[in-house]
Formats: sequence, C-alpha cells, structure tokens
Amino acid sequence: MNGPGIPWYLAISAILFSTGIAGVLLRRSPLIVLLSLEIMLNASNLAFVGFSRLFGQMDGQVFALAVMAVAAAEVCVGLGLIVAMARRNLDLDVDRMTELRG
Amino acid sequence: MVNGAWVCLLAPLAGFLAILLAGTRITRRQAGIVSTASVFVGFAGALVAFIDAWTRSPDDRTELTTAWTWLQAGQFKVGLELLIDPLSLVMMLVVTGVGGLIVLYSNGYMAGDDEERRYFAYMAFFVFAMLLLVQGGNLLLLLVGWGLVGLASYLLIGFHHERPSAVAAAKKAFVMNAIGDAVMALAFFLTISQVGSLDYGTVFAAVDDGGLSDTAVTLLALGLLGGAVAKSAQIPLHTWLPDAMEGPTPVSALIHAATMVTAGVYLICRTHPVFEAAPDVQHLAALLGLATLLVAGVIALVQWDIKRVIAYSTMSQIGYMFLGAGIGAYGFAMFHLVTHAFFKALLFLAAGLVIHRLDGEQDIRKMGGLRKSMPYTHATFLIGSLALVGIPIFAGFWSKDAILASALAYGGALGWVLYVGGLLGALLTGLYSFRLYYRVFHGEPAAEAHGAEHHGEGDRSMLVPVGVLAVGSTVVGFLAIPGVWEPFETWLEPVVEPLVTPSTTQEWATSAVAVALGALGILLARRAFLAGRELVPDGAVRTTLEHKLWFDELYHALFERPGQAVAALLRDRVETPVVQGGLDEVAGETLRGATLTSSLQSGLLRTYALAFTVAVGVLTLVFLVVR
Amino acid sequence: MGNFLVWVIWLLAAAACVGTGLRVVTASNPFSSALSLIGNLASLAVLYLLASGEFVAAAQILVYAGAVMVMFLFVIAYLGGRADAPWAGGTRLIQTASVIAATALLSVVFVALMLNADGRLSDEAEVTRAFGSPAEMGRLFLTDHLLAFEITSIVLLVAAVGGVVLGMRSEDEALIDAGNGERA
Repeated sequence: MNGPGIPWYLAISAILFSTGIAGVLLRRSPLIVLLSLEIMLNASNLAFVGFSRLFGQMDGQVFALAVMAVAAAEVCVGLGLIVAMARRNLDLDVDRMTELRG
Repeated sequence: MVNGAWVCLLAPLAGFLAILLAGTRITRRQAGIVSTASVFVGFAGALVAFIDAWTRSPDDRTELTTAWTWLQAGQFKVGLELLIDPLSLVMMLVVTGVGGLIVLYSNGYMAGDDEERRYFAYMAFFVFAMLLLVQGGNLLLLLVGWGLVGLASYLLIGFHHERPSAVAAAKKAFVMNAIGDAVMALAFFLTISQVGSLDYGTVFAAVDDGGLSDTAVTLLALGLLGGAVAKSAQIPLHTWLPDAMEGPTPVSALIHAATMVTAGVYLICRTHPVFEAAPDVQHLAALLGLATLLVAGVIALVQWDIKRVIAYSTMSQIGYMFLGAGIGAYGFAMFHLVTHAFFKALLFLAAGLVIHRLDGEQDIRKMGGLRKSMPYTHATFLIGSLALVGIPIFAGFWSKDAILASALAYGGALGWVLYVGGLLGALLTGLYSFRLYYRVFHGEPAAEAHGAEHHGEGDRSMLVPVGVLAVGSTVVGFLAIPGVWEPFETWLEPVVEPLVTPSTTQEWATSAVAVALGALGILLARRAFLAGRELVPDGAVRTTLEHKLWFDELYHALFERPGQAVAALLRDRVETPVVQGGLDEVAGETLRGATLTSSLQSGLLRTYALAFTVAVGVLTLVFLVVR
Repeated sequence: MGNFLVWVIWLLAAAACVGTGLRVVTASNPFSSALSLIGNLASLAVLYLLASGEFVAAAQILVYAGAVMVMFLFVIAYLGGRADAPWAGGTRLIQTASVIAATALLSVVFVALMLNADGRLSDEAEVTRAFGSPAEMGRLFLTDHLLAFEITSIVLLVAAVGGVVLGMRSEDEALIDAGNGERA
C-alpha cells in the first residue's frame, strides 16, 4: 500500500476519539455534546475502515456503514429531544437535567 | 394393658386439641362436654388397663412400652416410653377418675363464664400432662410432664387474668415450681453424666450396685426432693399454694388438692431406690413433711377464707404423705394420697357449692347457718371433714393412722419424733377443720350473708360429683383394714416395697390414740365456737400465724429485693447502653452509609459519563495487558 | 512520486481532521461547531478513500455530511440564541478528571500502537480493485450480514417514529403557540 500504514490511521482514530470524549465530558450544551458524540462515532468508523484495509476483508466497511446508519438514527432522536426541550422553554444545559438523581 | 394406657394418656390430649382447634366454632357447653368426655374416656382406658393388670399374676404387672426413640445424642438415648405398673395405674385411676368428676362439676360451676372454652381446654391439657408425668417411662418424660403440669397450673391459677391478684399468684406458683424444676434438671444432668441414661431401670441399678459415688447419689436424691418439695408445696417452697386459691374452685380441687401437689409424693415413691441409697435425704423428706404438717396446721387455725383453710389442710396432709414416704412406708403414703384425693376434692367442691350459692363470698365470717338452707352440701362437707380428721369409718381414718403406725414401727429417735408430731397434727386437723365446719354451717347466718335463696343448692352437674366423692370418701378407706384385708398394700408391693410394716397391734393402738386426739380437736373447736371465741387468741402468736410465719416477707427480702436490684442494675448498665445502644449504632451507621452511597447518584449526567470513560479506559488497559 | 503525493494528501487530510475535531469541541458558537464537524467529515472521507473504502467515503459525504449535518444545522437555526450556553460545566474536579481520562485513553492506545501489536499491524493484505466497491458491499450486506442490514432498517424506522413523536405538540403547547401567534 502506498502512503502511511495502518498504525497511522489508528493513531488518528485514537486522537479523534479522545477529543470526542473530552467534548462529551466537558461541554455544557447538549447540542455540542451531540456533536462530540459524532466525532467519537466517526473515530470508530475510521478504525473499522483501517482494519478492513489491513485484513483485506470488507466486513469492517460494512460495519462502518451500519454505524453510520445508527448514528443518523441517534442524531434524529437526540435532536428531537433538544427541540422538545427548547419548545418547553427548558434550559439547554446538561447540568440542569438532574431527574436521575438518586 | 398397654393399649388402655395409651388411650388413657391420649384421650385428654385429644380433648384439649379438639377444643383448641374448634375455637369459637363450638359453644361453651360443648367445650365442657368434650373436655369431660375426654377425661372420662381416659378413665375408661385406665380402668381397662387396671383390670387387665389385675387378672395377671403379681409378677407380671409391669410393662414398659416405647413409642419411638425421642432423643438421641451419642450414647444417650431417650425413648417416648410409658411405664405401666401398679403404682402408675393407681395414679392414672385417681387422676382420671377424680379429675373426670371435677371436670363434670366444672360444667355447672363455670357456666356463664366468658371464657369457658379456654378453661375446659386447660383442664383437659392438665389431665394429659399429669398422666404423662405418672406414665412416663423415664426421668425425662417425668420432667416433661412435671413442667407441663406447672404450666397448666399457671394457666389455670391465672385464669381470671383481669384480676392482678390472680396473675401475681400464678407467677408466684410458676416461679417457685421453676426452682424445683431447675434443681431436678440439675440432678438429671448429673445423672446423665454419671450413669449415661435416664431410664428408671438403669438409674436404679446404678444407684443400687454402688456404681455411683455417695455424693452423686445424695445430690440426685436432693434434686428429686427439691422438685418434690416445690411441686407439693412443702416447706420451704410452700408459699405459693395458699395464693393459688385465686384460681377457680374446681381448679383448686383438681390441681391443688387431688393431683398435682401429690406428684411429689408419687415421685418419691417412684424413685425410692435413689432415696433408699441416700437415707439422709429420705429422712430429710420425712422431717420436712413433719414441719409442714404442723406449720400448715397452725396457720389454718387463723384463716378466714374458706379456700385458704382447705389449702393449708392440703399442705398439712401432704406433709403426712411425705412423712410416710420419708420412712419408707410407700404403700401407706400412696394410700393416703388416694383417700386424700377423694375427701379433699370433696371439701373443695362442697366449698365451691357454698361459694356459688353465696355469689362468690369466701369469707367464713360472713357465712353461717347454711346447715338448713343447703342440707346436701352440709352432709357432704361433714363427711369430708370427718374423713379429713380421721374418724372411723371414713377414709382418712385408715390411711393416716397407717402412716403414723409406720412411724411407730420405724422406731428410733426419728420414728418417735415423727409419731408424736403426727399425732399432734391429728389434733390440729380436728381443730381447724371443725372450726371451719361450725363457722360455715352452724350458728346464725351472718348479717352480711347475702346468699340468694332463689336458686337451689346447685346444678345437677355439680351435685352428682360431690355425691360420688362423698361416697368414695366413705368406702375407699376399706381398701386397707389392718390385719384383715390389705389389697392396696399387696397391690403396690411388687413395685414399692415398704421399708417398715407396722404390726396389727401397733396399727390399732395408733388409731385409738389418733382418733381420740381428733375427737378432742372437734370438741375443742365446738366449745370455742359455741362460746363465740377464736381458738387462737389475739396476740403475738396470732399475728405471726396470720402472717404465715413471715415466710413471704422473708423470701421477699432474701430474693425478690436483691433480684430486682440486680435486674435494675443490669438494665441500666448493660441493656440500655450496650444492647440498645448497639442496635441504635448499627441502624445509625446503616443510615449514614446509605446517605453516603446515595450521594453518588448526583443526577449529573456528566459524572456518569466520566464514570463510563474511566471504566472503558480501565478495561482497555486490562485487555491490553492480559492479552 | 505517487507515494509522496499519497503521503502529502494523507497528512493534509489528517491535519484537517484533527484540527476540525478540536474546533468542534472547543468552539463556543454551536454553528461553528457544526461547520467544523462538516469539515471533519469531509477529511475523514478523504482518509477513507486513501484506505480503499470508496463506497464508505461516498456514503459518508452523502449521508453524514449531507443529511445528518443538515439536520443539525436546521436545529441550530431553529434554536437561534438559545443554543448558546456557558462553555464548560461540572466542578473543577470533574473537569480535571475528564481531561485526564481522555488523555489516559489516548496514551493507552498510543502505547499499544508503538508496541506494534506484535507486528500484526504491519502486514497489509493485498487487495483487488473490487475492494471497497458498492458491488462487494452489497453482496456482503445481503449474504453475510443480512441480519445487521435488517435490524438497521428497523432502527431507522424506530428513530423516524421517535422523531415524529418527540416533535408532536401537546395540547397546552398548541394553546401557547396559538397565544403567541395572536400576539405575534
């Protein structure tokens, strides 16, 4: 293969994943949290594609496609939630959503 | 014989369980009928067993039957076994026969009480427990029966539980009996460790052939004596019996006159090999009997409650039985037990008729002149009293004098002390019983006597048993006519061979003296009554007697006050800080832990997400390392 | 020459990827975040292409960047000013912990990569031209991974229904909107 080897792909994937995690844990707006979540999903997609190339089997790419579909579904529901919250004039603040308090 | 015995034992139990399970679904009358019937069925069983035994040869009259092995611990085995022999048959007949009559009487006496069913259930239970005691084939079953009759006594004394005096009396009875039970149990533990068994045969053999040390035998005998003294209300464990009169009159008749209190005498007779191996203890029994005989007799002279007089009389007569057993005259002691069951139960039931008629009045100062209004009761009461004093031909004459004659035959210092004391007791008996008789039935009716004339002497269910007992008190004595016909003695001989047998001369001589003294007592009582004065004049003596020789006060100071002090101390020093505090601490800590844990669930999604991340990180690390 | 070109493009795309990724997470304006994410997706598509995943790259652009991100932008536009919120949340402790956690995760993977996983990551397989093609993808979906295919379709259906349900108005909301409408 021309170009960088698989470890490089995996490195990028790891960086993206950590960035996504940091975003999920640190940000306050649910919208940004969702975006960070997308970053994480894409990172895993990259890893899938990389490994698929390494082993020469397309199953990784198949799975990456499935992940994309599920991510789309999840975004749909998540955004629906955010819109519903906004419509009820709730603060779009993750720290305010404490109904899970034990 | 065995089948009869099983029927005898289990019928009252079945009656008890039937009433218990039926609860309020049966009427009170039906409960009474069930109870009475079950006891009489028991009597039938005992009778069948008795007849069967009678037809056998004298050597063949003992049977030990085991239902199953009840307890087993290593080498130690205890079976659920019954011992049917002449001695237990005598007791079975007395318990179920007299018991049946008394339960029949209760049908009339307790009619109208709110809790009749409970009463009849307890009565049936008591009969069962007493039968277990006398039929038990080993010391452990005896102890079980012993404890159960104590329980029945507690339940029945405190039957009128809304009365604090009744509750207190029940507790007192139970606690004093518990002392006896504990002492007996300790003796049994010793037996198990020394002999390895509680079977009568094994224990008696070990005691006889010198396998046990003298100390062990003495301790065992003392333990048995302790239990007997508590159960039979002998000095020093006697203070519960007068208080036990708080129970209904039929209860007093059955438990505290005819049967339970005589269990001590039965015990000594049953375990006589042990006592014979520890003669000092046996003599102690006789002396305790003498002491009780005299003390109870004098206290009875100052009592105003009709039932208390009869209770002290019971104590005194059991003293006679202990005296007899203490010198080895087992047959006569048992004979006196039988006759006493008849006339004492008779006295109690007749007293019950009086009390019932006078709507609960028990103070003899408020009675009088009932001779005319209650002729039947008067006649039966008189018969009972005459039997008690030992006037020929009535039952007490034959039995009491036989014991005294045995004391005479025993000889030695002990024999003479017992003999003279016993004769003195005969005088006392005459005094107190006829003081009672004259007060109740003669003279003018007291001003406060508010007996209703509207009902007759009593229900038939009450009168019939009284009559039967009166007849019994008259004829039962004839089972031992010295020198002529002594079937009772011969019946018991194979099982309990007496240590002394008085000669016919001794017996008739003693009888003459005793009857004379008894008659003297009657005359003195009559004179005092007609003169309108009491036999014991007011003064220090009378006060002491009225306080029952200060026994209650002594026990209160010696045991109750220190006991309560210790209990209070423990409560303040141990219970409250340690136990209560400990529990509080545990609860507090749990609560604190829970609060701490719940703070983990902050509701902040952020924290949860952080936790996920950390977990993922750790897992990744683990996978990488372990790979 | 070809290899060099590949390397250059790869490095550029990787840099863009990482940069836009950081921008997504750090931008205070959600609109900037969304736009950065689009950039991220695009650079990822380039990386996919370089790894012979043509179909996946195309799907990434069409589905992700084309549909999902458009949804995001619609919502951000709808929310308008309400989407702005203070940047970071949680206590100082949690913030520090989060950064540490993310870094730790990163380091773990890097260490693993450096150790080269026993050399297993070095041998790339030879691939044919058919690798990454739609035909091959379709074949796999309809044979080996049919179940995943079907379930994914159900998931999408559920999501669609969920989206509709979440968007339904309740009665008081209708009243509020009606009231707003009158005033407006």
